[in-house]
Amino acid sequence: MPETIRTVVADDHYLVREGTRRLLETSGEVTVVGAVGDADELLDAVRRLRPDVVITDIRMPGGRWRAGFEGIDAAHRIRSAHPGVGVVVLSQFSDALFAFELFKHGTEGFAYLLKDRVGDLDELLGAIRAVASGGSVIDPKVVEGLLARRDVRGQQEALTARERDVLREMAHGRTNSAIARALHLSISSVEKNVNAIFTKLGLENSGDVHRRVAAVLAYLGPEPPDQR
Amino acid sequence: MSSRLPAGSLASIAAGSVVIGALLESGLPAPASQWTFIVCALPLPALGLLLAVRRPELRYGWLLLATALSFGLATLGVGLSMRGVPALIGAPLAALFTVFYGLSWIFVPLLFPDGRLPSRRWRAVAWISGVAVVLHGGGLLLGGLSPSRGTRPPTSFDLVLAFVAGGGQLVTWIMAVVVFCGLVVRWRRADPPERGQYAWMVSGAAATVVGAVLLMAFVAGGTRAGVAGFLGIVMVMAALPAAIAVAIVRHRLLDVRVGLRGSRLHLVFDLRPTVDEVLSDLGTALEDTPEPVEQLGRLAAAVRTGLELRWAAVALDDGTRVVSGRQDDRAVLELPVRGGRIECGPKQSGPLTRVDRRLVRALAVPAGLAIQSAGLVTRLVNAQEAERRRIERNIHDGVQQQLVALIAGLELARATGAGPDTLADLREQARQTLTDLRELAAGIHPSSLSQGGLVEAVEERCSRLPVRTTVSAPPSLRARRFADEVEGAMYFTVSETVANALKHAGATAIEVRLAHDDGRLRATVADDGRGFEPRTASRRGLATLADRLDALGGSLTVDSGPGEGTRVNAWVPVDA
Repeated sequence: MPETIRTVVADDHYLVREGTRRLLETSGEVTVVGAVGDADELLDAVRRLRPDVVITDIRMPGGRWRAGFEGIDAAHRIRSAHPGVGVVVLSQFSDALFAFELFKHGTEGFAYLLKDRVGDLDELLGAIRAVASGGSVIDPKVVEGLLARRDVRGQQEALTARERDVLREMAHGRTNSAIARALHLSISSVEKNVNAIFTKLGLENSGDVHRRVAAVLAYLGPEPPDQR
Repeated sequence: MSSRLPAGSLASIAAGSVVIGALLESGLPAPASQWTFIVCALPLPALGLLLAVRRPELRYGWLLLATALSFGLATLGVGLSMRGVPALIGAPLAALFTVFYGLSWIFVPLLFPDGRLPSRRWRAVAWISGVAVVLHGGGLLLGGLSPSRGTRPPTSFDLVLAFVAGGGQLVTWIMAVVVFCGLVVRWRRADPPERGQYAWMVSGAAATVVGAVLLMAFVAGGTRAGVAGFLGIVMVMAALPAAIAVAIVRHRLLDVRVGLRGSRLHLVFDLRPTVDEVLSDLGTALEDTPEPVEQLGRLAAAVRTGLELRWAAVALDDGTRVVSGRQDDRAVLELPVRGGRIECGPKQSGPLTRVDRRLVRALAVPAGLAIQSAGLVTRLVNAQEAERRRIERNIHDGVQQQLVALIAGLELARATGAGPDTLADLREQARQTLTDLRELAAGIHPSSLSQGGLVEAVEERCSRLPVRTTVSAPPSLRARRFADEVEGAMYFTVSETVANALKHAGATAIEVRLAHDDGRLRATVADDGRGFEPRTASRRGLATLADRLDALGGSLTVDSGPGEGTRVNAWVPVDA
């Protein structure tokens, strides 16, 4: 039996929690070692069970946690106490606001996915794998929203449709070859697009995947760069 | 009451002067006729005192006091002169008789019953009369002070003085006749409750005229007409006060009346509050009543008790109507006020008087304010209800139905052992339901608004629009948070406005500007759509938002025209 990723699932809703657990276990790639219902239990479970990855709901009412941010705050506590543990936050909000809250101290080891992804096992497993190895993932819908936000702010959108596709894949924490596979492009074509994106956004190209996500996020960040 | 002291002082001086003057004139022991004179002179200051204390806001009481005072001081002047006091003191006082006649013959009937001119046309009469009285009095005064008086033939100066005084007197008489005729006309035209009051006043004025004629007969005829002269002076002094007193007793003039309480005769003054009292009571009542619809009830009750109506109602333009008392017949008076109207039922007895109407008019402003706030709140509450119904409908017709379809699909898949394609379809259906639910939740209250603030939420909202939309806001505004209701009102104003631009105006570009200056948070939404005629188009959604902004002290304006696009400006006051 190959090495599986040990995970803890946290969600205050029993059906969602159990559904997620069973879904993950059917993959054979993941073992769910604990399933808990609030942020306090989650911290406790991480301390006791030492999982590789935590999958947590963003909102788990109860305790003395910041209302609405329990999952995000717990994620930060876990990462600072156990730097090796990756955290996937599942959110019902597509507002970028919450994603930025999660990534405010750094992107490494964090994933921000919309809850719909529990219906998309591959996506979910991809994120789990990414954070297990210190990578980061941000849901494409959030990136989509951020790009739309740039338009609304009246900032010129320099990217072509193809470049936007590539940017979304980059946000997904994918390598150039993975992007090439996902978009059915040649690796050299992806490289060209990536370079073009970095040039247009005025960013340093970086081979390091999670730093690329951080760069993209920094650019699409909550404050328009030209107004900082 | 603050009018008690000045009114009391004036009345005391008037009465005291009459008594002292009369006794100085005759010496003690005084003859019965002198006592009668004194008794006849006292009702006027008493009446003036009563009215001035009770209804200080009406000039009439003060007018009566002035009349009484001039009579009293003049009597005192005569008395002092008889006792050898130098003419320098006695003569000016005695000259006040002209003022007394001017006031009692002209101004007391002219300004009856509330101290106001019947109409602006009478201003000329008032001025001419005033000047005539001054000439008459001034002429007499200077003539009386002349040191050579009676010791040598009159100089031309004396003749001029006599001419001036006589002219003044003549004009005074003419004016008195004019005023009397006016009084008669007003009596003929008056409606029943006031008609009785005028009738007494006409009688009083007529008796005064008769008295004056008798007095002149006495002056002309000398002591042979002594009885006539005495009768005349009594009538001149007492007829008007008597008429006014009867009008009070029988016709509730100025809402003062005499009543029986227990076995004793009382002057009953507290039957009806004054306008000031009603207003201040109403102000307190409205302050104590935060519930706007209840405020309307208080208002209606104040009108009803203030006017002694069988019922009174406050009606709003939107149809809300609050009645105090039992409405059993038609309104006899309807007064339009801002945002609605006050309806008055019939009085418990008799028709409405001029004073009643004045009271209702005085209530119009506070009533308008109460009505406006009540209307605003009613509309806000209604809008909130409508919004709840809309959400309920959306849940029932949308998400709930989608879930039912999903259950049916799952059951079908279970029964038929469906393949991966069917299951993927079902998953898509479920996703769509989730998306719809997310949008529904954002429509109720977007999480970006509570977590990220106004700019964040507006950008989020606009970034989901299918047309080119820009949002501009100063960087300082991004970090600013405002009260929930301010952020909510502004967000939903922008949200509704951009929705309108898409739905109704067919806009292809929308520009949203958020700004914060001069203690105002502003939002401007401009589109390039069809536009509309703001005066004729109904804007239900925007009207609700305008109410919401209004409740926060702000406002909303719409600038549009067919083919010109639409520009909506909204602002609310916020701390700088």
